[in-house]
Amino acid sequence: MRSVLRISRDARVRWTLAGLLIVLVLLIPPLAGLYEQSNPDVSSRFYLFLGTEALVLALWAVSYNLMLGYAGMVSFAHAAYYGVGAYTVALLFQDFHLPVLIGLLLAPITAAVFGLVTGLVALRAVRLYFSLLTLAISQLLYSIAFNAYGFTGGDNGIHGIEIPDALTDYTTMYYFVGAVVGVCLVLMFVLTRAPFGAALMAIKENRERARSIGINVRAYELAVYTIAATFAGVAGGLFAIYQQQAFPEMMYWTANAQPVVVALLGGTGAFLGPAFGAFVYTELSNLLSKDFPNQFDVLLGAIVLGVVLVVPGGLASLPNLFTSLRSRFRAEPEPATVESSGESIERADLAKVVRIEAIQADPTPVERGEPLLVVQGLSRSFGGLRAVQDVDLVVHAGDRHAIIGPNGAGKSTLFNLITGRLKPDAGRVTFAGRDITGKPPHVIARAGIGRAFQITMIFPRLTVIQNLQYAMLAHRGYTARPFGIADRMFRDEAMELLEAVGLDQYAALPAGQLSHGDQRAIELAISLALGSRLVLLDEPTAGMSAFETQKAMELVRRVAQEKRLTLLFCEHDMEVVFGTARTVTVMHLGRVLTEGTPDEVRANPDVQKVYLGQLEEEAVG
Amino acid sequence: MNASQFLLFAVGGLANAAYLFIVAAGLSLVFGALRVINMAHGSLYMIAAFVTVVVANSLGAALGFWGGLVAAVLVAGAVGALIEVVVLRRVYRQEHLVQLLGTYALTLIIAGAVRLIFGAQYRTMKAPDVLTGSVHLGGHSYAVYSFFMIGAAIAIAAGVYLMLYRTALGRNIRAAVSDPDLLSASGVNVALLFTTVFVIGAGLAALGGVIVAPSQAVGLTMDTDILVLAFAISVIGGLGSIVGSVVGALIVGETISFGLANSYTNQFALAFIFIIMAAVLTLRPWGLFGVAEQ
Repeated sequence: MRSVLRISRDARVRWTLAGLLIVLVLLIPPLAGLYEQSNPDVSSRFYLFLGTEALVLALWAVSYNLMLGYAGMVSFAHAAYYGVGAYTVALLFQDFHLPVLIGLLLAPITAAVFGLVTGLVALRAVRLYFSLLTLAISQLLYSIAFNAYGFTGGDNGIHGIEIPDALTDYTTMYYFVGAVVGVCLVLMFVLTRAPFGAALMAIKENRERARSIGINVRAYELAVYTIAATFAGVAGGLFAIYQQQAFPEMMYWTANAQPVVVALLGGTGAFLGPAFGAFVYTELSNLLSKDFPNQFDVLLGAIVLGVVLVVPGGLASLPNLFTSLRSRFRAEPEPATVESSGESIERADLAKVVRIEAIQADPTPVERGEPLLVVQGLSRSFGGLRAVQDVDLVVHAGDRHAIIGPNGAGKSTLFNLITGRLKPDAGRVTFAGRDITGKPPHVIARAGIGRAFQITMIFPRLTVIQNLQYAMLAHRGYTARPFGIADRMFRDEAMELLEAVGLDQYAALPAGQLSHGDQRAIELAISLALGSRLVLLDEPTAGMSAFETQKAMELVRRVAQEKRLTLLFCEHDMEVVFGTARTVTVMHLGRVLTEGTPDEVRANPDVQKVYLGQLEEEAVG
Repeated sequence: MNASQFLLFAVGGLANAAYLFIVAAGLSLVFGALRVINMAHGSLYMIAAFVTVVVANSLGAALGFWGGLVAAVLVAGAVGALIEVVVLRRVYRQEHLVQLLGTYALTLIIAGAVRLIFGAQYRTMKAPDVLTGSVHLGGHSYAVYSFFMIGAAIAIAAGVYLMLYRTALGRNIRAAVSDPDLLSASGVNVALLFTTVFVIGAGLAALGGVIVAPSQAVGLTMDTDILVLAFAISVIGGLGSIVGSVVGALIVGETISFGLANSYTNQFALAFIFIIMAAVLTLRPWGLFGVAEQ
């Protein structure tokens, strides 16, 4: 998959953009004044008005991008909250004669309430269905504004909102709006750099993985949806002040084209990308709507399409594009790259791994040898297929417990039932004396069950070190923090772990660019980084060479022993199983066939028959 | 409301459901096979309605509607093929996000283009002579055209069913729905199949637009109006399910009709639909007949 709409971490681009934008914003009024002096037939007021428009649009689009660029959510209801903010100011003025500045303070609150309530409904669904629901919400709110004549003035809207005398001066209005927008942008910027923002990026990258490191995905989505609505409310309130009106068309779902176009144009990958886009868009629409009033929609659509298909990073990615083009023509040496060939695990330093404090299962209340995970009568069917039937399983604290069985035995389903990815039809799962049956994955992860998946489940566009840092953040419950800088937290711990597993030289690379073997190593490192008491490994060595396998399992074994982790793993490689496990459970056709020490299991005639049967089937098939 | 009034609104609801089903079925079919939600589906419907009106009014009452039908389906089909080849092929393997934004861009482009070509004013046309007039029943009169719409929808539903379950094309489409990778491994030209499916979807949108053209004013907001309803139907019925489209269209069509029955509720028919959507999603987030996404 191409790296579309990714959050750029290129500090240089980001700060250049920010500096340019701030200078531009501050200089617009004096420049407009100068322009007026040299061309007496133009009015500086017009440009100040346009500038104000761009500032409000910047706020609206940046708030939209909290959802689009950070959390990967496409909402068609953002214009509705913008409208709610504008109507808050307009209605408070009209019905209660409240000054607009008080209205502006209340606008984010009403927008937040609307966002929270409607977000609760929209987030019943995920991805596509979520987008469709926001569309319906948007049209619902629009139809209220459009039709409730007694309340909102219906399709006439509300006009003639009075503003304080000081704000009637265009320059003052411009700087006033600029100050409000500036404060909001700083607040949002802090939020995106904080662990909260890290959680959003993790969700966008890989929902499943985000859950398994302990992030409550839906709660974060609701939070960012509400926060975005809140700031849209401020933008709407500002609109009502500088335009002195509010009308239902602001809320129509096609009005969302504006923040979407602006965010895409500026670049969803940089925090200020959409703000930059707002100024470009405003100027562009000013020029185009004068000369091509009828072709404007077509051009707008063409811009969106062009950005989506050709320059997914928007304007903010142009500096990078320029650098790569220049290096192509000038034949400069490529920047030094490290190649990831999957051998990192060979460099793993076991002595280091076991010293790391991050990998420390909390002082366990469960004594070694006592039951840690108890599964009773667990069943799950898919249609007619009974994938797991009446399974009983006890994993003792400190044990290394393997589950084996031919393909289709129900091992992965069992793991999914234990970790909450699937809900059981019947049965109970108890962990450290606590009933975790059917609990959501993030709760189970936080309770102390870590997991490495059978297919590689990492955050591909985050750097290797971020993968680990965010896992540590999430597992220790820091991701709700709206302040602090996520990328500076747990940096040393993560680096230590990377060094120990031989991945340190790739720390700053996007994890998805590494070779398969190295991605598996990250997967393992994440599951170890969580400091879980019980670690579930689903075919941990799938796709590794014989040497990597040996090394990886040695690592796992050693860490488990030193850190008193309990392991539950399933594996096809019998050498791995019998070399690592102290207890082996054999599953066949969804049931537990037998359980015992490796030697007992190896000697069991039923087990031999099951595996022989499979071999025969394979020979026939 | 007495029994005869009830019947009046029920038939009105069925006529709504008829054209809504035709449009929603196209959206659903495309989603089922291509896994892309086509935001421009309503735009194809609008194009067809405009083409029908223009052709019908220039050809005259006798042939007009039927000429418009042919022209509209051809134009919408061609635009659909163009969209599939130029835009969609580049976004199949990407995130939902990119697909939504890409097809959303198409709605803006098409809306602008339609305004440039046809102008902003509303247009109307007459139904063909055989389909005009009304039937009197229980003290109320029913437009013959309503029954034509219902009949056409039933015929199209049957056609779609036969296409899916009785033809080689339908077998391939159903295979594409369940496992596209396996399908291409078995030697089917998946690219061609996807284009075909998308053109069929566009054709269904077009048929909806054609059928609706004589029954309401044709204007520039048609694309978003129908899109919201088609999405509502898909969410209620479940994306990718033709049966879901039928049930969803019936629910939405009747809700609109009975919503209009009362002067207090007529402004908020959409609100009722939204409430139904919310209720369905609370119980089954993937719709009544949809399949849960893993």
